[in-house]
Amino acid sequence: MAEPSRSQLAGKVVPLRNLIAIAASLVLAACSLIAPYDRAAYEHATNAKVDTLALMSKATSSYDEHEKEVEALVRQLDKAYEYDRGRQLNKITIAQWDILRDPNRDLVGGFLKMWKAKGSLSVTFIAEKKKQIGDAFDQIIQLESGKPRPAK
Amino acid sequence: MANIDIGNILKSVEDQSKVLAEKLFKQYTHQALSDVRDFLEKSKDALTRWVEDLVRGDIDKDEFESLIKGQADVAEMRALKQAGLAAVQIDTFTNGVLDIIVNAAFAAIP
Repeated sequence: MAEPSRSQLAGKVVPLRNLIAIAASLVLAACSLIAPYDRAAYEHATNAKVDTLALMSKATSSYDEHEKEVEALVRQLDKAYEYDRGRQLNKITIAQWDILRDPNRDLVGGFLKMWKAKGSLSVTFIAEKKKQIGDAFDQIIQLESGKPRPAK
Repeated sequence: MANIDIGNILKSVEDQSKVLAEKLFKQYTHQALSDVRDFLEKSKDALTRWVEDLVRGDIDKDEFESLIKGQADVAEMRALKQAGLAAVQIDTFTNGVLDIIVNAAFAAIP
């Protein structure tokens, strides 16, 4: 049987290379376990952290005086949550937001519920809770910043 | 059909993947352990402070309880972050292995 010519070989090799590249791209797209980094989500979380800690400082005074600010903060947290909920492969971040916002747990949701129930909170408690809630927000922020950067 | 040594490609892919796995997962393990140690240290200091605050009457029982439970919530959020960062490492490893396979296949094509 005659050996294939150089041009015949080249004709086979180039489609083979293309096939490998296409297959690799398809496998790559199908293999991701987690959403890519999203700058808007990162900013939502950092802004919410700053605003939450600022409002917490006011909890030594009456909840009623700050009810509107509390409502605005809850709305801001809801928006950040909904934004993240709309992203694919983002279940872990959503689970983090769930813990942070839940009024029946002991982070932002629980703090606001306690403030409302008690009317005001002690300076020492607020200072300690701010450290804790700051740390909690950092978990969302650090995960977001650790996500892979989308290819340009 | 060009003569391609599949055995050689697979050996090359295996060797390079092993190096990549060792590098990526060693880095991740080191980072995760450091994160856990940092959290335990912070929690130990915080717990000591809260007990003292409670004894002095600077915080009440409800506030003390909220701080303890809140720390458990933060631990859960930290574990979720580590799970997410592990998923990032797995993605990076998968992409790296695919690159290795593609490059090894291209290199074997005459």
